[in-house]
Amino acid sequence: MTLQTSLTLRDYIRVERLPTTWCAGCGLGIILNCIVQAVDHRGLEKDEVSMVSGIGCTGRMSGYVDFNTIHTTHGRAPAFATGLKMAQPDMTVLTVMGDGDAMSIGGNHLVHAMRRNIGMVAIVVNNNVYGLTGGQSSPTTPIGGVSTTSKAGSIERPMDLEALARTLRAPFFARATVNHTASLVKLVERAIEVDCFALIEVISNCHILYGRMNGSPDAVDMIAAMDSETRPTNPALERRKRLPLRVTSSGTKIGADIVDSGDAQMEDLAGRGVIWDRTGSDDLSHRYRDWAKRQA
Amino acid sequence: MMTDEITRGIFEINVYRDFCKACGLCVAWCPNDVLAPDAEDYPLTPGLDQCTGCKLCEWHCPDFAIEIIAPGSEVVDVDSLVHAQ
Repeated sequence: MTLQTSLTLRDYIRVERLPTTWCAGCGLGIILNCIVQAVDHRGLEKDEVSMVSGIGCTGRMSGYVDFNTIHTTHGRAPAFATGLKMAQPDMTVLTVMGDGDAMSIGGNHLVHAMRRNIGMVAIVVNNNVYGLTGGQSSPTTPIGGVSTTSKAGSIERPMDLEALARTLRAPFFARATVNHTASLVKLVERAIEVDCFALIEVISNCHILYGRMNGSPDAVDMIAAMDSETRPTNPALERRKRLPLRVTSSGTKIGADIVDSGDAQMEDLAGRGVIWDRTGSDDLSHRYRDWAKRQA
Repeated sequence: MMTDEITRGIFEINVYRDFCKACGLCVAWCPNDVLAPDAEDYPLTPGLDQCTGCKLCEWHCPDFAIEIIAPGSEVVDVDSLVHAQ
């Protein structure tokens, strides 16, 4: 059962901060709601959960939730979350980043959090543009996407977070859009459960800046397009074909043959949107705690 | 047989105007024309008797501003939350 809005407000949101500073129709509010629902479904106490966010529109999210929250420097949310997780291995750490925050400014921190397998839930909100600073092109602006700094359409190849996560062997990767709210709740719920580095890319809308320059200045149009533009790919695997959620505008497609980690098992029959889930991996904070116990 | 009869008209809808930004997502996603925009694009509920409680509006609201209330479900007075701070 989903939590009633007024109960959500009472239990998990700092009501005095509302209404949010985000634009009308921004998908970040939907994502915030989904995260809170997932935490509620897991039955976690507020003190057991912390949210770390960086800078940008997404960085505002930690100000609205009533968990332990840290609003950190630009791109360094995974670094702060690493420290938090090492000190408190049993805490559920939710790291919320935007696409520029995670992949451009904080790319190195994201990479090494993935490499070390820190047990955090990293939610990367991808809206194809730097929203807070005025619509500059971000690492995920697709080829031909118009932004303030690419008036004739971007000519750069967009970054593929999935390819990065595959190469660094992130144990869990999932993708959803803000239109697929029920699925997003399930994904966050599951990511909290896996207790290793869980990366969720959420396709969001920036209709005010990106949409206006690219022919869909309305939140309704843009979110409706997410329903029509997402399509299942990966024809090599017939069974997985209908499961993973891919977006046509996300640029280069990658083959399924890039990674094959022998020890871990790929779980195909995961919920819709889970691209892979290697169960049984152990995150660094728990390994460190066990090591420290043995030393003592 | 999974043809459970759809219950209509037993739900209530609360719209919290203090939080609403009139983005129109709830009106656009309502499958039964329960919601309609007023002159300032805030949602009204002219077709309340057609509501099936699918909660698409509640799930797509970015601002915690709309709520479907099934009979017997717990609801908190949001005004008191706002003014308690």
